[in-house]
This record gives sequence, structure tokens and C-alpha cells, in this order.
Amino acid sequence: MKKAASLTEIGFSPDAKHHLFSPLPDAEPAARTSRHIKITVVGCGNVGMAIAQTILTQDIADEIALVDAVPNKLRGEMLDLQHAAAFLPRVKIASSTDYEITAGSDLAIITAGARQNPGESRLDLLQRNLAIFKKIVPPLAQYSPDCILLVVSNPVDVLTYITWKLSGFPPNRVIGSGTNLDSSRFRFLLADHLNVNAQDVQAYMVGEHGDSSVALWSSISVGGVPVISSLEKNDINLSPEMLEATRKAVIDSAYEVISLKGYTSWAIGYSVASLAFSLLRHQRRIHPVSLLAKGFYGIPEDREVFLSLPAQIGRGGILGVVNIHLTEEEAKRLRRSAETLWECQTQLGI
Amino acid sequence: MKKAASLTEIGFSPDAKHHLFSPLPDAEPAARTSRHIKITVVGCGNVGMAIAQTILTQDIADEIALVDAQPNKLRGEMLDLQHAAAFLPRVKIASSTDYEITSGSDLAIITAGARQNPGETRLDLLQRNLAIFKKIVPPLAQYSPDCILLVVSNPVDVLTYITWKLSGFPPNRVIGSGTNLDSSRFRFLLADHLNVNAQDVQAYMVGEHGDSSVALWSSISVGGVPVISSLEKNDINLSIEMLEATRKAVVDSAYEVISLKGYTSWAIGYSVASLAFSLLRHQRRIHPVSLLAKGFYGIPEDREVFLSLPAQIGRGGILGVVNIHLTEEEAKRLRRSAETLWECQTQLGI
Repeated sequence: MKKAASLTEIGFSPDAKHHLFSPLPDAEPAARTSRHIKITVVGCGNVGMAIAQTILTQDIADEIALVDAVPNKLRGEMLDLQHAAAFLPRVKIASSTDYEITAGSDLAIITAGARQNPGESRLDLLQRNLAIFKKIVPPLAQYSPDCILLVVSNPVDVLTYITWKLSGFPPNRVIGSGTNLDSSRFRFLLADHLNVNAQDVQAYMVGEHGDSSVALWSSISVGGVPVISSLEKNDINLSPEMLEATRKAVIDSAYEVISLKGYTSWAIGYSVASLAFSLLRHQRRIHPVSLLAKGFYGIPEDREVFLSLPAQIGRGGILGVVNIHLTEEEAKRLRRSAETLWECQTQLGI
Repeated sequence: MKKAASLTEIGFSPDAKHHLFSPLPDAEPAARTSRHIKITVVGCGNVGMAIAQTILTQDIADEIALVDAQPNKLRGEMLDLQHAAAFLPRVKIASSTDYEITSGSDLAIITAGARQNPGETRLDLLQRNLAIFKKIVPPLAQYSPDCILLVVSNPVDVLTYITWKLSGFPPNRVIGSGTNLDSSRFRFLLADHLNVNAQDVQAYMVGEHGDSSVALWSSISVGGVPVISSLEKNDINLSIEMLEATRKAVVDSAYEVISLKGYTSWAIGYSVASLAFSLLRHQRRIHPVSLLAKGFYGIPEDREVFLSLPAQIGRGGILGVVNIHLTEEEAKRLRRSAETLWECQTQLGI
């Protein structure tokens, strides 16, 4: 398909812009400290584009670079965003299969990855993803050596570990989206039941993203009221079965969306845009994200695994990890996840 | 796939919410004039969901209702938006295949419609769309008799006519998205070439949405400067061929996106969200939209056709049509489009 002609190709003189404006005499160039936020999104599928479009709508970035291996789809997505120029603040939107386009990014978000083939083992899927990430992470790190890397692709905890190893970056600048969205779904379920605004519900899911995540019951707080103990004070007791069924409902809600519409996109888009804003606008906000968890809650120092914990994030990436109170059972689950992930990772040969 | 359990199904007491809050004695109900904006989106495909999600991100509505004929995809899309609750202001998001869910809408946006089968004639496609719209428009009108109907489905000008006839609404409350997006693409091309902000470029495409649209060259204005005559003053003459090539580039850019990514979604999402905001927040802004054009620019009074013209829009829908200056050639093209559309419509048998 022949590309639609640009105005220069049609014959419009590039001098036209000079006739429109006269410069001010003695003007000086812009101050070098002007804020310019550049975000790269790798992978222009449903998740990557929902993230890019939400970042654009929420006016988080001055420049967005899209990268993918499939050039046609990539160009189509870029054009579809550019065509909205009349409705948005002026943002530079570029795309290329060449990572040079990502140079100077403040944040690079990775959504690319292999999808599981029927009957494929977890390890085989991981080996395929490792091969893909070997093409993605080194050039990202080369072209933006100071950036923050944010991994969204699944299995996010292992892929964040892989990204950390392949980039050589310090651990505060390599983050996985982890349980940020699971926690949002948790808060939605609770808020819906209690008829409150979800932003008033503090509730964290931590640990391994997916089936083995840990719901922090003691963390649930609404309007300063620790909800579980408040219910118990009113003789409304919550059995472990009910709590476990709730945790499962959060996990199942992701599978339900996938079974109904084929994939998820919108919620992860908002979730990652929220992380992007907190990071690049130095919000010092607490988000449950996947980070290098060795040494926490009894996880041995030599277990270099990434697990989600509530962490304060800002321009320097992970600023600190919240010292949450885990029950012995919850800490045990985290350590069990750490072992499972470590087993997996040792077989990868990185 | 079993639905993920709600907290009530799991066994959480519905009384929990009452224990969290104590009412204030002697409180009175909310004032009846509180603003509550409800928007319905019919069709949860790529276009409908891009529109719904942009409306949500831009915080335009208090309530969004999604309708589609396919219950699974519909429910999946609704859940995917709901799961973002922690990142957004509290908005009620509901969905159903039953139009009762749309009751009391301020604005109903129709994106549903048949896609052209290979080799299908334009008339056959229209007949299929007429059958679909007969299932959509009457219940929308019944459940929200005061709403504004905004048609996005293509061919938008004929489908807006069909919507007007099937609804029985006054013509100011039945609008087609028309050339609103074409004009945005026009403005993007010009802004990119002139290195200005697209919001500073006034430029309208009018008439029939699609291949026969009319670019209003005399309307192009940047910073108060009529661009074409300004270029001519500087001996930069634009041949008719160049102007026509530019118009074609705008039309082609839509086809290019479709050929690259399979469809367009993001730009039309922003375009329609922009219309929704102007309408429901009574902005009195001028947008080129498809409206009942009989009697304008020599279009006979008995030609009940919808064509795009710049119009001032607000809470009452179309508040007025701008008295633009058309050249005789441009007016002739509008009248030719009117005849073509009228021919088409008379064969429909409405």
C-alpha cells in the first residue's frame, strides 16, 4: 500500500513555515533545564497500545517512541495516534523497528513477549522469551543508559529478573508491573462491596504475580479503619476459606476477561500509566511492584528473584521498600515463591 | 468459564458497609439538580471501546453504558474498564445486550454496523445496516427520548439519516461524526509541515465523509493568518493539482492506517470524545459534523441528506450552522454529494 503523501512530497514548499513567523531579534535558545519526558513502549500489541494511548491522553510524556518487530502494524498504530493531534497537546510520536528511535528515554516499558503455545512447558516458553528479550534489553540499555526499565510482559517476575541481568542496571531502575493491577482489582472488588471509592481502599496483593500471589489482609484499610479487624469487632468473622476465595476471585477476574474478550488491555493500560506518572513526576507514591526481593522477609541473599512488594517510587525508580507486617504464613508463601522462581531461573543459563 | 465470584457470593456480609460509616443526623437527600452525565456506547468493537475508554480517561461522564449484541465480548470489555477503578474517578460502568441499560442517557454513540463483504454492493451493505439500525435506534429513542444521538458507523452520512428517520428526533439532536476526524487529519498534515501546534490550525473538510469530501482551502488559518493567500503573497503558488493531492492525502491516510493495522481506533476515539465533551459540557464549539443539510448552499429543501458542515455544538446538539464562504466549485460538489446520497436513500424504502 502506497504511503499517503506528506505535504512536502506533494510539492508544498518547506519554506512555508518561515513565511508564517518572524523571529524575535536577540532571542536566546531555550534553557537547557527544560523538562522533556520521553517514554518508549516496546511492543505495539493490545497491551502496549493501551499503555501508550493512556499515557498520551493523560499527558504524561512530551515524546513517545514505539518499537516493534512488525513494521506495518507499528506504523499503523503510530499514525492512528498522530491523527489525533488536533485533540491533544503537542507530543512527538515516533516509531521504528530500530532501537535508535529510543535514544534518551527516561522510561522504557516492555510489553513484548511470546505467547504460550498449547502444551508448551513453562521453561520452554521462558527460553523463547529469553531469546526475545536478548534482542530488546541490550539495545534499550545502550541507547538510554540512564533510563528506568519497566517490564509488563508475563511471567513478569522472571522477565524482570532477565531484564535486570541483560541490562546491567542497578536494581532500583528495573521494575516489573507485578501485582500493581492485581491490587487494583482487589481494591475494585472491595470498593464495590463496601460501596466506597476504590481510591479510598488501601489493599495490597504482593509476591509472585499470578496464581501464587499473596493477599495482605491486614493491609486493608478504608478511611483509616483496618477493615478486617473492624469486621471482627462487629462479630463478622471471615474464615480463611472466605479470604482464600476472595484472593482467587481477584486472580480469576483476569482470566475471566481473557476468556470473554480474548485478552486484557484497558486496566493494565491505566495501571502502567499510573506507574509511569509516579516515576517520572517523582510522586513518591507507594505501589506494589516487582523488585529485587533478596534479603527481605527471610528470602536468602543469594536468591536473586523479583517479587512484588509495596515500594515508594519516584524519579530514581524504587526509592525504598515499605516495611510491611507479614504474618509467618504470608512470609512463608513469599519464600516458597522465591524458591520456585529461583529454580526456574537457574535453568535459564543467564 | 465460570464467572469470578463477587464478594457477596463468597459470603462477605452486605452489612459490612454499614459498619464502616455512621450517617449524619438530620441529613437531607442530594439536591436534585446535581449534574449526572450518562453516555451510552453501542458497539464494543475497536472503535466503540476506544471511544468509551477515552471518555473515561478524560473524565467526561459519570456513567457509561455499553451495549452490544455479543454478551461475552461485552462483559469482558466492561470488566476490563471496571478493573481500573483504583486509577480513575468513580464512574458507574454497566453493560447489557438489553437496551434498558441505556435508559436516561444524555448522549448515545452508535458505532455498530455491518462491515462490507468482498464484492458486496454499496446498496446491499446499506440494507444490512438498515436492518441493524432498526434494532438499535428505536430502543435508544424509547429509553432516552431526550438524548442526543451521535452516529459514527460508516457510511456515516446515510446512517445518520437513517438514525434520524428511525428515531423521530428533531434534527438538532441527531449528529454524525462526519468529517470531524478528516479535519483533524487535515490539521495534523498542515501542522506537521508548518511546524506549528495542530490546535493552532483552523482547517475544515466538509461535505460527504470519505472519498468525496471537500477541503475548504479558504478556511485554513494559522494565528489569524489565512495561509493560502499568505503563501500566494510570497509567490508560493499552490496549483489545483497540489490542493487536490493534499485532499487525497487526507483521505488516503485513513486507508493507510487500515491497511497497516487492520482498522482505525485511537484517532476516532479522541475525535468522538471531543464531540462528547463539547456537547455535554455546552462548550459552544465549532466542529465539522454531519447534519441535516437541506436548504444550505443550494441543496434543495426536499433532499433530506446529512452532510458535514462546521456547526456550533452544545447541550442542545447542533446550535447553529456556520455561514461559511464556499466557492461555486465547492458548493457544486456539496450539491453533487447531496444528489448521490439522496439517490441511495430513496432506494432504501424508509
